[in-house]
Amino acid sequence: MSKNCAYILWFLCVSVILQSCVKDEGYVEVEPDLISPVTFVLDSVPYLTLSEYNFFEGDLNGLDPVYGVLPFTLNSTLFTDFAKKKRFIWMPSESSASYVNDFSILDFPIGTVLIKNFYYNNVMPNNNTKIIETRVIYKNNEDRWSFANYRWNDEQTEAYYTTDGEVVDISWLENGVSKSVNYEIPSPSKCVTCHGDFNGGIPIGVKPQNLNLSYNYIDGAQNQLSKWADMGYLIDDFPTTIESTVDWKDESKDLELRVRSYFDINCAHCHNAEGYCNYALLRLEFKNTESLVNLGVCVSNDFYLGNEVTHIVNPGDANSSALFYRINTIEEEFRMPFFGRTLIDPDGVALVDQWINSLNINCN
Amino acid sequence: MKKNTLIIILFLPFIMVGQVNFSFSSKSVSGTDLGLVDMNNDQLDDLIGISTSNIQIHFQQPDGTFNIVNHPISATYPPSWSMAVGDYDANGYNDFIWGSGSGAHVLQANSDGTAWSVVATSTDVFTQRTNFVDINNDGHLDAFICDDIDPNEYFMNDGFGNLTLYEGAQYATANGGDCTNPDDPISIDQVGVPGGLGIHPRGGNYGSIWVNYDGDRDMDLFIAKCGDCEVRRTNELYRNNGDGTFTRIDDIANLDDPINTWSSAWGDYDNDGDMDCFIGSSTGSEQHKLMRNDNGVFVDVSVASGVQACQNFYHESVFVDFDNDGFLDIYVNGDILYNDGDGTFTVEAQASTGLSGFGGALGDLNDDGFIDLFRNGIYENDGNSNNYLKVCLEGTNSNKNGIGATIELTTAAGTQIREVRSGEGFKYMNSLTAHFGIGTETEEDIISLIIRWPSGTDDLILSPTENQTLCVTEGETLSLGQSLVEDLILYPNPTKGILNINATYGFENARYTVFDMNGRQIMNSKFESNSIDVSNINSGMYFLRITDSGKSRTQKFIKN
Repeated sequence: MSKNCAYILWFLCVSVILQSCVKDEGYVEVEPDLISPVTFVLDSVPYLTLSEYNFFEGDLNGLDPVYGVLPFTLNSTLFTDFAKKKRFIWMPSESSASYVNDFSILDFPIGTVLIKNFYYNNVMPNNNTKIIETRVIYKNNEDRWSFANYRWNDEQTEAYYTTDGEVVDISWLENGVSKSVNYEIPSPSKCVTCHGDFNGGIPIGVKPQNLNLSYNYIDGAQNQLSKWADMGYLIDDFPTTIESTVDWKDESKDLELRVRSYFDINCAHCHNAEGYCNYALLRLEFKNTESLVNLGVCVSNDFYLGNEVTHIVNPGDANSSALFYRINTIEEEFRMPFFGRTLIDPDGVALVDQWINSLNINCN
Repeated sequence: MKKNTLIIILFLPFIMVGQVNFSFSSKSVSGTDLGLVDMNNDQLDDLIGISTSNIQIHFQQPDGTFNIVNHPISATYPPSWSMAVGDYDANGYNDFIWGSGSGAHVLQANSDGTAWSVVATSTDVFTQRTNFVDINNDGHLDAFICDDIDPNEYFMNDGFGNLTLYEGAQYATANGGDCTNPDDPISIDQVGVPGGLGIHPRGGNYGSIWVNYDGDRDMDLFIAKCGDCEVRRTNELYRNNGDGTFTRIDDIANLDDPINTWSSAWGDYDNDGDMDCFIGSSTGSEQHKLMRNDNGVFVDVSVASGVQACQNFYHESVFVDFDNDGFLDIYVNGDILYNDGDGTFTVEAQASTGLSGFGGALGDLNDDGFIDLFRNGIYENDGNSNNYLKVCLEGTNSNKNGIGATIELTTAAGTQIREVRSGEGFKYMNSLTAHFGIGTETEEDIISLIIRWPSGTDDLILSPTENQTLCVTEGETLSLGQSLVEDLILYPNPTKGILNINATYGFENARYTVFDMNGRQIMNSKFESNSIDVSNINSGMYFLRITDSGKSRTQKFIKN
């Protein structure tokens, strides 16, 4: 730029700096009202590109949330072919969710948006991070949940609204080990199969039992539920003690709590009384799995998997347990979860194996 | 130990004479083993294994060996859930439809059946049962795909080799709102099949069986449904109105059952001339059902028939006469429910039959007239001394495989009916050759075999010989061109009144019978002079059979 402009700019910068350094005795700081810059007009969504929502600042693929877009996570998360997730929530101003009970999704206001980005690190050939899709669930004007999915471009500059399912071939390094997957981006009907009960579409993870954890926000660690209350996103009348799931990967936690948390987040959305597979006897929601019968322990296996698979869970013998068989296979006809994965979750399988073999129960 | 083993021990003293044993021998096919169908038109059923890169066919040879041929293909979706076979372009070689949880393909055979390629694809269907069927009865096979999580899809064949995909119905949201009271669709098929075939927004469609349940010439559809709210899992019956439209009538027919089922079996188990329905429960918490067809309304005979003694719950149920006694048994996931011939069934559980509990493809793998099973090995039916008749069809005005044709076999014991179907049970593709057991009856007892083609044509064969595979081309029995016997000449033919008979032999104690095209006797008398007066019978085509000293000769003639 020209010398004159440079001088003027320098002068302005100095003035600003001097101003901010000098505090008058009578100066009262007025905090400006923080307004979320997110664009979300219910009559206009879903937008055709992810950037139109203005959820993130800077480069879109930095996933750096603007004010009002809160990152969150869950105690235990769903296995989706090793893809990593970044989750966010946003609500319109003056809107709050309310607590229902420990094990139900919060009662969210119209305009609530849940954002879930799926990505892999160390993706070949360039050993970089690739975001594959961003799934958005929002509460619409009819107080029902709508779904919108966004497919990222290879340049990672934008994600585009799509209603097509798609298979994306990805090779990456997982802890230094080379892996590859035919990653499945679901079509809308598949979304609903997991994200649905008799009444329609629903989010899955956002229950107090799963949200009750300490998250490292930029301005410090805080319990997520209390952070949401501070943001005005959650009415502050929820109990101080919440019966919660645990991080199943935390080996310091009780084995049974870990397994029940694993089942809750990987299975319970179908295996409940109003889910897609309600005709099977399993009831795998965390609140129901203190009962061994709901876990399938000592329940005989009806759906043939071979003569040796005799029970849904056979204490002490994973190989004769249908539940183990199904999480340990990639055959489409037999695998569990039904979709959402095409690879085996080795750590999850090891967990369930350990749990079944730890069961000291005589079925007779 | 499975609890049904205990039931078998109790039943051992009561095993019916008519049961058969199965011998297992190892045999594997490369890919998913799904089909047991004649793929090279030699009337011998072949084995089919499929992957996304290869169709491997084991062609059954007359000497009992198999000739293995690989056919490279390039498909996106594997046949994870089902496969069906049919010659949709009528070039003489069977084509395929199959699908996975994400999509489905139709593959077309080349001109000599040595290669296949993908010609049509649905990229968004959670495939369950697939079928080839002539939905609109225009003589060309269409293809149907059950969708687990969406309205059903189907390809309509325009007869010029073009397949058009229809998705049934579209909803504003994928879940269609409330499962029990779904939103109205925002659009619904107006071409193809107006109104679609199974359009609940969340699917629930598992086992589509195309069956002519009402005895007219068009194909009706029964959908076995499963899972979720009651509305979504209530089974559906669609009556084909014959004009390209269908009406859903499961409630009127008493088939609107909400039990969770992946497949149903359709067959005339009581030999009264119409198709009955066995509904296979897929969970141990609901029992199997048998619904007897009484003139289009189905009566629940589940308890009285004894089918609920079967405690095997999975996804394969098919009517098959395993012991060739002339009564259709039911294959249920490895159990065999033997038809006792009096409306009841005796169950032999899978632990005793030794059949695969995974189901399998059914057909005659060694051409001995007894139905075998293939699933990761050959389960060969050891048979018995009973006789059989197999019928293979070649359509001309009707679709090439004769899918949808009803075959009636009348013997002294009564009439049995079969339908040719592509895609029964849930997953597998069974032989397209129809099979009848006839017990101890022989040619002398067999009266007629009638093929009722979807086109409206009937073909009649009198007194076919037992223990063979009879192949019938549509309309072949209607022309005068081919003499049935060389040494019996009728003239004039056509005739208005007198029919003269010229034979190279004399008749001593002969009788003659005139049959119409339904196999009904019109005239029957002692054969005294060399001419017969047929002036009093209606115009039409007839058979004249002269029987002398136990030997019969038959010839066709037309009265006009």
